[in-house]
Parts: sequence; structure tokens; C-alpha cells
Amino acid sequence: MGFDSLYEAVFLILHGGSLLFLMAGIVMGMLFGVIPGLGSTTALALLIPVTYTLSPLDAMYLAGGVMGAASFGGSITAILLNTPGTAPNAATVFDGYPMALQGRAGAAIGAAASSSSLGGLLGLFTLLAFMPFARQIVLSFGPSEFFLLAVLGLTAIAISVRGKLLRGLIAGLLGLMLAFIGADVITGQLRYTGGIDYLWDGIPLVPTLTGLFAISQMIELSLKGGTVSGKDSPTMKVTGVWEGIIAPIKHWDVLLRGSLIGTLIGAVPGLGGTVAAFLSYSSTAQSDKDPDSFGKGNIRGVIAPESANNAKDGGSLIPTVAFGIPGSAETAIFLAILVLHGMSPGPQILIENEQEIYGLIVAMTISCVLASVIGLLLTRWIVLITFINVRIIVPIVVSVALTGVYVLEGRMADVVLTIVMGLIGYVMIRFDYPRLTLVIALVLGETAERSYHMVSMISDGSAFGFMLGRPISIVLILCIIGTFLLPLIRGSLARRRKARSINT
Amino acid sequence: MKRNLKMGLAAFALGLAPMAALAEWPTDKPITFVIPYGPGGGFDTIVRVLAPELEARLGTVVTPENIPGASGTRGGQAVARAEPDGYTIGIYNIPGLTVSQATDTDIGFDLGAVSWIANIASDRYAIAVKADSPITSVKDLCDLGRPIRLSDTGTDSTSSITAVISFSIIGCDIQNVTGYTGSNETMIAVLRDEVDATLKPINSLKKYVESGDLRMIVTLSDETLVENVPTSTEIGYPEISGFAINRVVGGPPNMPAEIVKQLSDTLMEITASDSFVAWAEGSSTGLLPLDSAATSALMGELSAFYKNYAPILLQSRN
Repeated sequence: MGFDSLYEAVFLILHGGSLLFLMAGIVMGMLFGVIPGLGSTTALALLIPVTYTLSPLDAMYLAGGVMGAASFGGSITAILLNTPGTAPNAATVFDGYPMALQGRAGAAIGAAASSSSLGGLLGLFTLLAFMPFARQIVLSFGPSEFFLLAVLGLTAIAISVRGKLLRGLIAGLLGLMLAFIGADVITGQLRYTGGIDYLWDGIPLVPTLTGLFAISQMIELSLKGGTVSGKDSPTMKVTGVWEGIIAPIKHWDVLLRGSLIGTLIGAVPGLGGTVAAFLSYSSTAQSDKDPDSFGKGNIRGVIAPESANNAKDGGSLIPTVAFGIPGSAETAIFLAILVLHGMSPGPQILIENEQEIYGLIVAMTISCVLASVIGLLLTRWIVLITFINVRIIVPIVVSVALTGVYVLEGRMADVVLTIVMGLIGYVMIRFDYPRLTLVIALVLGETAERSYHMVSMISDGSAFGFMLGRPISIVLILCIIGTFLLPLIRGSLARRRKARSINT
Repeated sequence: MKRNLKMGLAAFALGLAPMAALAEWPTDKPITFVIPYGPGGGFDTIVRVLAPELEARLGTVVTPENIPGASGTRGGQAVARAEPDGYTIGIYNIPGLTVSQATDTDIGFDLGAVSWIANIASDRYAIAVKADSPITSVKDLCDLGRPIRLSDTGTDSTSSITAVISFSIIGCDIQNVTGYTGSNETMIAVLRDEVDATLKPINSLKKYVESGDLRMIVTLSDETLVENVPTSTEIGYPEISGFAINRVVGGPPNMPAEIVKQLSDTLMEITASDSFVAWAEGSSTGLLPLDSAATSALMGELSAFYKNYAPILLQSRN
């Protein structure tokens, strides 16, 4: 099966008008990626009605194009405007924006482009390699593993906020508190909703992210005035694009780790690209010889999140090929397209819908390479954005972002929440609180709470004993302990080295 | 409830005859078809398949609109607030909303006042265990010596409600493990040995039975729905044979009868068409077309049925 279908899918896509749908998907994905507040989920949701008139395969090409291209589009905004274009690019701003401020925007975009492509390809190759074992992988990850992965993510918060631990913990706890708002996932009881119907389903992620990152940054920019780059005319040249493109190969260890983390987190339903990119970034910064150089324009800090957030698309297809269940919001819409065409994805999906699955994989592969190429060709002009007066940029970004938030679910309350989160985000910028920490805690808090409750019900109350009986859980527990011990060990090693250098 | 299904089928057969004589539908405004869930689910899909068919027959634009949130009640509220002129209709999760009303949960609109237009689909339930499990019957499940572990998405989901009522009638304790993110996840939970069994619509279970992962031990029905699987009536519990999940189309309160009739007739025509039947077969959707009168009668019976079990349901939530 495997290679024949793959070959057939490549042949089919190069045949006839299919490439047109793929290109349309790529352009739409990049556009939705670049604009804060819009993302690939919005693009796909808007495309669903359109795909009804297409053949299932053409629909797959359109969807694959969007999925492969959006996250690179988002990194451009992250690097140039300090505002992630899509949620998973939130970690890219840490080092991408400082690089842009130092005049190395070209290198940063180059690095984002090639690590997105390579990360995406690695994720998809991992998927193809593990496809025969997809069932076993899904069956060995239950609520117990989900809970421990969420806890691992939460411990990573502590190590990611070196230097401002207290502020990081405050932001993280605020995120956890927000995660508890809404109906309890297990009992259905309402908590902290204050009688507002809107809060029944909890604090939605997209408005929160758009507010905390896009709106707050626009407030900051408009109060500062001038241009993003601080210069009035583009006197400096966009240099170092090639330096950026080859950087992921030079830093292959970061690329590999990012892709691996991305694929793994992608396979866990509910965690998604934001968590993958954050974990990849924090583990890269933590294990680096010079952790203090991160956040100040280290190119490794761009490669890490960008490789992870593209690799996650390959990973999120693992549950899909195994049982026909979604691993991410995007794959959920992919499955919806199949249902709309009268198919019923289930555990036989690889047999019944082989053509569509391979079509999607090939489309995503081509898309994540082509999107980067197109992006790089346009870099010289895209960078000019940073020389435009913010009085022009701010109104455009704010209005498009708020419209995007409204379009997703058609709720005015989402727009209000976005503005509230924008104000909170601005206060956090002013007083130097990490915003991503809050978001990560918000995402992980829900998964952690739900999974713990489930483990407790499955094991009749002895949750910890149940986890100790599962090999993957034990590995994850060791990782959590390691995350806590690593800074201590590193600290004591540094002290010893210092002591030795004083003695000699 | 059962009697009504048969009545509905009869009404459906009668409804086929006069379908040609429809008045012209005014085409000056588009029809908004509200889906109370996000894109991609079963309710979303069925509306998006119905919409172009409605367009072709009524000659006007039909726009599906997703208004998700608050367990499907926000969409229902939006329809309830609209003008009853036929330009806003919606699809409803029944008996999910019926149960909310029976347990005095505020859903923000009066379910009893909805102008019911048609019932489109109805999926029956079955209980399934892992294919290689030693459990072969409901009795085996009850004899485990501890509460039976079942998997579900949330306590207010229709299948969870069905499980709570069914096992209280059968007389066995259950531990309903809720929190799974979708119905597929609840079935994979059985494969992972996290739970003993799961109660789910037959069309969802079928895929896992065909792949050799799960085995059905009973269907909740009077008649045999799956070969070699006993029905709940056969094993002595006819009271639980009427459970189903329905996808029902309705409109704002006080819609004029002729508009309801025209929409109802058009939907009946669509559900009888070859292309729709073929789509339903491909996607394992159980069709149960009922016109507006039969649908209203079904709603009344369901409401009375679940009112009886409100105390049990309220108890299971705490």
C-alpha cells in the first residue's frame, strides 16, 4: 500500500487543475497567517461550504495548502511587528522581534522559513514512518499520559521565565484561574461565570490570544508612535536572508528537537501548536550553553518554535490515520470535509479513504515548502512594513483582527473579550509580565483538570498508583522530575566552576 | 414514543403523494439555517447537505449559520428571537434539549413553543464492549461485582442520559467516566481498557465493529437492527427500547401554518430523494423523516417521558 498510494497522490496532484487548488490554499493560508486574529482554523472553517462543490481530492489540496502555509505566514508578523500572526507563533516573537530590531529581520525570516519547511517535512516523514504503528501510539496515550504531559508543560513555565520567576508564576496562576471558568467538564456545574451565559463554555482561546498579543501590542505601538523599526526610510538593506536559511542546518540539534516535540505534542488532542512551540522554545533555551542569550535575538530561539509548530501538523494526523479522530482543530475540519462528501471516517479510514489521506499529506508537504519559497521571494517588500508609520498599521491590524475574531463564531462577546484581554495584555507589557505563560496555563489547565478527573474515575480514586502502572506515564513522571532538577544541577555546576576558577 | 415512530412513518408515506403541488416560495430574502454547534459535527453536516437541496427546490438562497455555545442553546435562542416568517429556521438536538427542560435547566427559550417543521434523522443506541472481552451480555456487565465503567463526553450528553436512565431501569450501578473529547474517544477508551463498555449510537459503533475492535452486546430497540445482536426488548427491558437521538428542524414560535407546511413538505421531498438517501447511507446516518404534525407529537411524548426520569438525572449529576 504505502508507497504506491504516495506515488499516486504525487502524480494526481501534478495532474490537471489540482495544483490550482493547492496554490489557492497556500495563498489563503499565508494571508490568514500573516493577519493577527485570523489563522488556519478560520480559513478552513470559511472554506467548508466552498468545498461542497469540489471533488473530495481537490478539497484536500485546498485544505492541505492552508494547513502547510498559515504558520509560516504568522511568523512574519511575529518577527516584524512583535505580534504573532497565529497562536503557535507566540514563542517566535521572543527572539524574532529583537532580531528585527537589530536589523536582522532578513535572517530571522529566512530562519523561520527554512525551519518551518524542514520542521513540516520532518513531521510528515515521522508520520509516514510511524503510520503502521499509529494505532498502538494512540492506544498507549490515555488520560493518564495527557495529564502528565500537561503537568510537564506547566513545569516548563517555571524554567521558561528565568530571571522573573515570580512574575512568571503570577501570570501562570492567572492563566490557571481563567482555565477554571465555565462549566466543569466532568460534572457540568457552572463555576465563576457570574451569571454570564457567554462564560459557560469557558474563556475561548482565540479572542484571548488575539487580545493579549495583537491588541496589546497595537496599544503599545500607537503610544510609542513613529515606525516599528524606529527609522523613517528604508535605508538599511535586508541582509542575511541566506544566513537565516542555512541556520537550521547549522543548528540541526534545535531543528530535530523542535520537530520531535512538535510531532509528539501534535499527536495529543487538545494541546496544539502553541504548546508545542512553547515547549520547544523553553527546552532549547534551557539546555543551551548560554541560556541568557535567549530573548535578545538568538537565531536558535526562532528555529525552535518554528520547526515545532509546523511539525505538529504531521503529528496531529497520527490519531486521524489511526482511528479517524482529530488531533487538532485543523484535522477536525479535514474530517468534516470528508463527512460532507458522504464518507464516514472511522478506524478504517486508512483503507477506505486512503486516497484522501495521502492527497492531504502530499498537499501539506508541497505547501510547507512552497509557502516558504513564496515568503522568501517577497521578504524584501514585506520588511518594508516596519518602516510604515504605526498610525497607518495600528488601525488596519486592530480592525482586521477584531473582524477575524467575530467571524470565527459570530459572537459579539468574543470581540469584547478580545478588547478586555488587549488591555490586560498592555498592562502586562508595561509591568513586564510574560503573556505567553498565561496562555499556556490557560490551555494546559483545562487538559490537566479534565484528565486528572478521568484518571481518578477510571482508577476508583487511586490515580497515582494507576499512573505508576503505565510505562509511558513513568517516563513522563521522570521528565517532570528532571525539569525541576535541571536548574538546580546547572546552578550547582556553575557554582563549582566558579569556585574552581577563583581557587586557581 | 414507539407508537409515534410508526405513526410518523405512516405520515411520511402519505406525505410523498402531494409533494408536487407546492406554492411558489418568495425569493426576496435568503433563509438562515441556524446550526447550534461549530462546523464539522453531525448537525453541521446534515444542514450543509440539506441547504443546497432546499435552495434548488425553493429557488432562494439558504445560508447555514453556526451559532455554537452553551451546549447548543445559544443557537436555539437565536432562532427563538427571530421573526416567525420562515426566513430563520434551525436544527435542534433532541432529546438533549428536552432533558435540559425536564431537569429545569435554563436553556434561554421555551422548547415547547418552537414551531416544529420536520424530523430528519434518528440514530438508535447499542451497548458495545471490546471485541475480545469475556463479557457477552448485559448480565455479565452487571455481574462484574463493582459499578460498570462507561465512557462519555459529558453528563449532559444524550448518550450519557440514556445510559443513566437505562441502567437505572435494568438495576445495575454504573460509574460514568465523562470528559472524553468526542464520541470516537469514548470508543477508543474501551479499546484502552479504561472502561468496561460504552453506550453509543449504532452508526458510530458500527465503524468500530467492522474494524474488529468492538462487539455490540445489545441494541436499544424492539426490532433486530444488527444481525446476531439481541434487542433490549428480547432480553426483557422493553422500557429502554425507545431511546434515540433525533436531528429536528424547527422555527421561531407562532410560525404561520402554511409556511411550516411548505418547508415541511420540501424537507420530506428532500429526505426521500435518491441523492439524500445515498448520502445518508454513505455517512451511516439513520434517516427518520417525520412531517411537522408527527414531529410535534413526538416532541410532546419525549417531553413527558423525560419528565418522569428527571429525579434520576438530577441525582446522577451530583
